[in-house]
Amino acid sequence: MKRFFLIACAAAALASCRDTQERAGPAKAASRSVNVYIWTNYLPQEVVADFERRTGIDVNVDTYDSNEAVLAKLQSGVADYDVVVPSDYMVKVLVPQGLLQPLDHARLPHFENLDPRFLNQAFDRGNAHSVPYLWGTTGIGYDKEKVKEPIDSWRALFDERYAGRILMLDDVREAFGAALKLMGRSINEKDPAALRKAAAMLTAQKRLVRTYNSSDFANLLAAGDVDVAQGWNGEMAEVVANAPGRLAFIVPKEGGTLWIDNLAIPKGARNLDAAYAFIDYVLEAATAAKIVNAVHYAAGNQAAWPLIDEKIRRDAAIYPPQEVLDRCELIEDLGETLRLMDELWTEVKAQ
Amino acid sequence: MSGRHRRLLAAHTAIVYLFLYAPIAILVAFSFNAARQTAFWEGFTLDWYRRLLGNALLFRAVRNSLLVAGITTAAAVVLGTPAALALARHEFRGKRATQALLYLPVIIPEVVLGAALVTFFGAVELRLSLWTVVVAHVVFSVSYVAIVVRARLSGLDPSLEEAARDLGAGPFETFRRVTLPLAAPGILASALLVFTLSIDDYVITSFVAGVGATTLPLHIYSMLKVGVTPEVNAVSTLLLAGTVVLIVLAQRLMQDPAATGGSR
Amino acid sequence: MRPWKTRAAYPLLLPTWLVLGIFFLAPLGLMLAFSFAARGTYGGIEPVGDLGRYLRSGAFLANYVRSLGWIYLKIGWRSLWMAALTTVLCLTVSFPAAYYLAILAPRRWKGLLLGLVVVPFWTSFLIRTYAWMFILRTEGLLNLVLVGSGLLHRPLELLYTQTAVMIGLVYGELPFMILPLYASLEKLDRSLLEAAADLGAGRSQSFWRVTVPLSLPGIAAGIVLVFIPSLGQFVVSDLLGGARGMLLGNLIQNQFAVARNQPFGSALAFELMAAVLILLLAYAAYVKRRGGEELL
Repeated sequence: MKRFFLIACAAAALASCRDTQERAGPAKAASRSVNVYIWTNYLPQEVVADFERRTGIDVNVDTYDSNEAVLAKLQSGVADYDVVVPSDYMVKVLVPQGLLQPLDHARLPHFENLDPRFLNQAFDRGNAHSVPYLWGTTGIGYDKEKVKEPIDSWRALFDERYAGRILMLDDVREAFGAALKLMGRSINEKDPAALRKAAAMLTAQKRLVRTYNSSDFANLLAAGDVDVAQGWNGEMAEVVANAPGRLAFIVPKEGGTLWIDNLAIPKGARNLDAAYAFIDYVLEAATAAKIVNAVHYAAGNQAAWPLIDEKIRRDAAIYPPQEVLDRCELIEDLGETLRLMDELWTEVKAQ
Repeated sequence: MSGRHRRLLAAHTAIVYLFLYAPIAILVAFSFNAARQTAFWEGFTLDWYRRLLGNALLFRAVRNSLLVAGITTAAAVVLGTPAALALARHEFRGKRATQALLYLPVIIPEVVLGAALVTFFGAVELRLSLWTVVVAHVVFSVSYVAIVVRARLSGLDPSLEEAARDLGAGPFETFRRVTLPLAAPGILASALLVFTLSIDDYVITSFVAGVGATTLPLHIYSMLKVGVTPEVNAVSTLLLAGTVVLIVLAQRLMQDPAATGGSR
Repeated sequence: MRPWKTRAAYPLLLPTWLVLGIFFLAPLGLMLAFSFAARGTYGGIEPVGDLGRYLRSGAFLANYVRSLGWIYLKIGWRSLWMAALTTVLCLTVSFPAAYYLAILAPRRWKGLLLGLVVVPFWTSFLIRTYAWMFILRTEGLLNLVLVGSGLLHRPLELLYTQTAVMIGLVYGELPFMILPLYASLEKLDRSLLEAAADLGAGRSQSFWRVTVPLSLPGIAAGIVLVFIPSLGQFVVSDLLGGARGMLLGNLIQNQFAVARNQPFGSALAFELMAAVLILLLAYAAYVKRRGGEELL
């Protein structure tokens, strides 16, 4: 009995010692670790390990599968991240709320590796707060053996014939995007009546949907749990490449989403030096190429192009031709309308 | 009770046990399956376990879980045992309110507790970390300790403590030399309960964990979200083995005469 | 026994009062306050300009009013009947097993059998739920067996259905029903059963008129231990439910983590808590009526 207490106390004392050490002194600790908050399946372990080996900085990685989750964490004010990877429209939301720090480009020597086509976008002029990381499109992946005719429209996700075999991304903007595109509208539609109509479509669609999933959609398609799945091109491209005759990925003819994910530093990040070191490391050509080769998403990094796998460079799903890009739209912030959209989405999910 | 009825009940019980254990057994068995995506048996392999060994994130999660559980258990026992003593042996104003207060954290659904705590931490601008996880765990653990130890104390024969008092022992000495040893099995049982609850907790922890404060359940959950792979089976098997070891250890500890006897 | 000096109780309780006061009551109070607030454009709390007007206009009740909307009532109803069904299933499955364990099992096996029930009780809930993900998915074991043996042509789609959630719930909560039932039946005085038999009671009579009434404390405890966690369930519906079967627990978590509508989430959380407390007060009243002093 006594023994137990003594051991428990000793353990507690020991534990508190170690933890304090790790957080000792702001200046010193600033360069010993970096906290990264990033999309699932977006940062290969190998790249992280290389960085840790090279700099001796400990990397803590947490993942998320929706932009809204990033917003929630940063808004709470008590999450402790040094690097986050929001999409285009989310950068535009975070900046006015004062949640991101301005980036000092002088501390990012490899900034010049970036593809000018992705710089100076409307959501972040002059890249004051973010630098492009990876970009891609949203479309539909499907099983050619189960789906008899080729798919070319968002209609497929709302089709009775695939009832119970459909997957949608668990993402408010993407789900509404599919419905709005089908209605012939822009994915950045602000008209409440149009949004309600889209919500009604999504509600009617609900009984056809097997599940909403933003982290495992490609695997679920590959495993045969669903036949038609909305998804992001990179992970889709990977499973299609592994099952070329069976699976396919397309960007619908109505057009889809074009998104750019960006590296940014939240305001109040404690490990500033490490954050810059990490971001600059990712901007290096070799690193960017490694990432692309591993996660199968395209990088906004032109210096990396020669180092990327031939197969990936040629993959139309990952590097789509211009005519596909032309019919895609970047998601934009909706301002006040966002509240309505969130409410409608909650109601769709709650049915 | 007729033999036929007896046999029927026995069969029913056997089926219940089968139902309880079959999924677990399947889980363990398929952690050795060479196939990645399907349940089709493609050969025996230790690959998935090997992969786990190279997984630094997993080890960190285990370390975090053990740390949190250890500190939580210690804190809960230190806080809860005196509380149990007060409730079992004393009459005072506010006793019923205190009892209600102690029952609430156990009763309230975990989502509610988690949501309330994250709201609170946000409002007082307390950064989320492993410590916020510990705080959250202590909140519900103190109650379990207080309830279990109090039950044990209430069941004790009061004449022993009275005898000690009659022999001139003060309250603290009585506690240390008579009450505490007698209450020990209850304290130990509650400690074990609280340790296990802390290690297994997912919901509350998911609300209040900070960066790098990923605990084992959080890690497993994110593995599950990214897909069903045999690696998850392997992690589950190891966790299961750990639990069984813990239970056996606890059994031994509680049967250890030195732990339960006390000095008399 | 003579109680100790009453003042001695306070220092013993002070640390616990402090910890629970600061980290339990205060957060709950804060959440209650937030449940009356409105959500900002991008989430979080919108600061209230004129408090007087805000209160008088009744706007502070907006979240509660919204929670009474048809969609949310449906979720509440779904949580309720799923929890109730889980409890009933657990009870009917567990009672015979607990009866066998407590009364009929040979003494030398009792310890082992009891231990075997305890192991799932201690095992991580997450793992036990994952086991069913593994079994029920399209390429999972169940379908493999059914399709492979030729019993079915197409695999059953069990994962991401309400059925899957039910299976997961019953499986997860079963030990929590068996153990209290066992504890109660174990204390059953066999001589009473014998007396009933001697007085000419048939098997069925003595079961319903002796065994069940005497084991009611265990039944009540089991119902409470299964129903309440099932009501606030999050994990099972999240992992096994897919698009269907969103329960109150998932809705609340969603409001906090994704929809960033903390005020609405807080209102929902409080309603869930109120429901649970009402049920427990009913249980406490029942216990009191039977003369028991303490709840557990």
